[in-house]
This record gives sequence, C-alpha cells and structure tokens, in this order.
Amino acid sequence: MSDLRTSFHDDLDAMRLEVVRMCAMVTEMIPRATDAFLNNDLAAAKRLIQEDDLLDAVSINLDLMCTQLLALQQPLATDLREIVAAIRLNPEIERSGDLVVNIAKATRRMFGTEYEPDVRGLILKMSDEAQRMFRLAGEAYSMRDVALGAALDDIDDRLDELANDLIEAILEDHTSQEIDKQTTVQMALIARFYERVGDHAVNIGEWVRFVVEGWRPEDAGAARADKAARANPTSPTIKDED
Amino acid sequence: MLVTERKRVSDVETEETATAVFEVDDVSVYYSDFRAVTDVDLDINEHEITAFIGPSGCGKSTMLRTFNRMNDLIEGARMTGTLTYHGIDLYGPDVDPVAVRRRIGMVFQKPNPFPKSIYDNIAFGPRLTGTSENMDDIVERSLQGAGLWEEVKDRLKASALGLSGGQQQRLCIARATAVNPDVLLMDEPCSALDPIATGRIEELMLEMKESYTIVIVTHNMQQAARVSDRTAFFTAELDPNTDQRTGLLVEFDETTSIFSNPRDERTENYITGRFG
Repeated sequence: MSDLRTSFHDDLDAMRLEVVRMCAMVTEMIPRATDAFLNNDLAAAKRLIQEDDLLDAVSINLDLMCTQLLALQQPLATDLREIVAAIRLNPEIERSGDLVVNIAKATRRMFGTEYEPDVRGLILKMSDEAQRMFRLAGEAYSMRDVALGAALDDIDDRLDELANDLIEAILEDHTSQEIDKQTTVQMALIARFYERVGDHAVNIGEWVRFVVEGWRPEDAGAARADKAARANPTSPTIKDED
Repeated sequence: MLVTERKRVSDVETEETATAVFEVDDVSVYYSDFRAVTDVDLDINEHEITAFIGPSGCGKSTMLRTFNRMNDLIEGARMTGTLTYHGIDLYGPDVDPVAVRRRIGMVFQKPNPFPKSIYDNIAFGPRLTGTSENMDDIVERSLQGAGLWEEVKDRLKASALGLSGGQQQRLCIARATAVNPDVLLMDEPCSALDPIATGRIEELMLEMKESYTIVIVTHNMQQAARVSDRTAFFTAELDPNTDQRTGLLVEFDETTSIFSNPRDERTENYITGRFG
C-alpha cells in the first residue's frame, strides 16, 4: 500500500499523539491529587494547580493542529473523523484535568481535616478506579480499540457505586456530628469530581468508535427521533421547534 | 451545500419519489477484446448531480459516454447488459442515436466552441434540429442559463474563439442547453479552467440541476464533494485471465456518505490517498 499523502498522515499521527499525551498527563495527575488531598500536602497541591497551565498549553496546541489540518489538507473519511474526534476530545480531557485540579484546590480549602479510615479508603478506591479508567481510555484511543472504548461504560458502574458509598459514608459522619456541614458539602463534591472523571473517560471511549465506525451513541437517539417523526408526521420535529 | 440541507430528518417524500432517469443493469463496455469497464449497476436520478470519481483508466469516461451513445462512434466499441432511459432501452433497435444526443447533451474537458460567432454557436443546434422558438430568444435564454449573457450580449456576432477559457466552456454549456436537453453529461468540465472559472461553473451546475439531470466525471474529489448529490467510485483492477486492467464500480452512495464514511475499503483508501 503506497501512501500518497505521507506528509499529511505524519501530521495526523502527530495530532493523535498529542491527544494521547494529554490523556497521559491527566491520568498521571489523578493519584498525585489524591495523595495531596489525603495527606494535607499544600506544596504538592500547589504544583498540581500550576501544572494545569501545561495542560492548557497542550490543549491550545492540539486545537491549532486540528484547525491547520482542516484548513490545509481537505481531509476525508477516516482522516476527517480523526480530526473531528480530536477536536471534541480536547475539551473532554481538558475538563477532566480541571476536575483533578479541583481536588488539589480542595486540599487548600479543607486543610487540616482528618479523614476517617472508611472515607480515606473509599477516596483511594475512587482515585484508583478513575485513574484506571482514564488510562484505559487513552489506550483505547491509541490502539483504536472500539471494544475497549465501549467497555468503559460498564467499568464506570463501579465508580458510580463507589461515589454513592462515599456520599453515604460522608452523610453518616455528618449525622453522627463528626464533620460539619461545610466539610460534608466539600467531601460530596470530591466524590463528584472523581465520578465525573470517569464519565469523561466513558465519553473518550465513545469517540474511539466514532473514529473507526463513524457512529456515536447520539446516532441511536437521532434514529429513534427520525422513526417517531415518520410514524407521526404531524408531531413537532426539529424543524418545527424554533 | 450543508449535510442537513441535503437530507433532512423527515424528508420522506424526496427519498420515496426520486425518479431514475437512467437505469444501468449489469453493463460492461468493450473496445474489441478489451473490457474497459465491467458489471456496472446504478441509477441516475432526475434533477440530481451524480459524480463519477476514480483513478485514470477505471472506465468512468467510458461509462459516461454510454449514456448518450457516444461510444457508438468508436470502432469496435460494444456494450453488454441493459441501459434504460426513462424506462426505454437506449440501445434498442428503434432508437435514433442522433435524437438521443439531442436529449442527452455533452460538455467536454477542453472547451470546443465552433469557429463561428457566439450567436451561431448557440443557434447551430436549434437550426439543425428545427425549432419554432424565436432564435434570438433561444440564444439569450441559453446564454442567460450559462451565466454568460451579460458578458457577451453586446458582441454576439464576435468570434467565439476570442472568449477566455472559462467563457468558452460556459458557451459550450449554453450550446448544449440550446436544444432543451433532459440530461447534461460533463466530462471533467473544469479541468482546463482556473479556480474562479471553475467556481462559476460549479455554481452554475447547482442552479442547473433544477432544470436538468447532470452526470459529471471529475478527477477533483473536492469538486465531486461540493456539487454532487451522489457519487460513484470506480477503480481499475487487474483481470487475472487477460492481464488487463478493467474498470469496475466499487461503491455508489450519497456523496456525504462516500466522503465521510465510505463502506468499501478501496473507496476509503482512494479518497484518503492511501492508494496502491
């Protein structure tokens, strides 16, 4: 197979590598944010907050690469889907980074708090799970592994369970007056941060399928809406609702 | 034209009532013993622009010429399979090929105006076929339709050869439409033209499809993507029996599908430049 567009395809590979790099950066930040939080480590928290700038820089660079490829190369078919996906993956990963940084920021806000063993345990488990999911998401994208990408949706169930367990534990501690209202709310947010990272990982997995097959979960919803419109032509459609 | 405009969610009517102007059924074209293109099945729909794309030697121009029996003029050319035009066998014994070419006009890659005045270029066809319409009206209508009227209306008696390349090609389009054809076949109509002239003719094609059915052969994939409703991808493959490269139809689908998510790997490879 001869490639008539090696220069373009090399640039495309570089773009993909940038997505993988962004993913890896966030994956690596997760356990460090957890450690900083649980150990009340302000210095480590500060480092993480500053690293968000690096993530921003990579995000901007990725955007630039995508825009240039679109402008200069007239990409088609899979090449086009790769670029469209990268544009959409950019905010998914960048937002995940923001969530991890929020955990680091919470270290400051909740400095001095002693965490009960059960709460510590759950946070560690959530951190491990979120890290694992993000690593797998990066792998799925890097290997164009549609099956692995799809599996993330099921793996996310575990993280959702843990989030519920953590919130229950926090509420129990609040009821037994071991922690005040402010701490309760902050802790619940922490649970949410990890859980949202997992959700973003699931989304990354979905975009892998889009690249390979041109299909997104929203296609199913759109197809159902189309079917309903055909069955009932007088009911409001996308066109009618302005 | 945006994806959403080409195919709306509940556009049931358009899909169900698309009329086929040509139906191509298992068609192969031979030049003597050489099989130029094999086993083609496709429909050309009314008031659509259908594009044929593919590498050199894949039979797309050969296929285009079958639609108005231009291959008849080539020694040794013959066709197997059936090709119907509005349900009638185009190659039936009672069919007059000259009449066919009046209804199914052709525009070629290199503009080929007659060495006559602009007026006489347009009037040539109607004079030959006979018409009750006023000739001045025909000439104006045709030049208007080709977007050339404003530029030449004050020099209709001037030689057509004095026009620029882009103008000459628009003249050829005007000439083809002067006899009120049903279909326009265009064989790389913009290959010899600069980007501005190309753009004008593409705009023209999009306007014209309301009145005509257009089939275009093009090397320019972006052009096919810009103007066509449906695209057919042809390729050439080595026939192990004859050691010849024969053209064949690989995939035929809505243009948006062909260029964003083609079904066949060969189509994918061709349009992304991974070709070999």
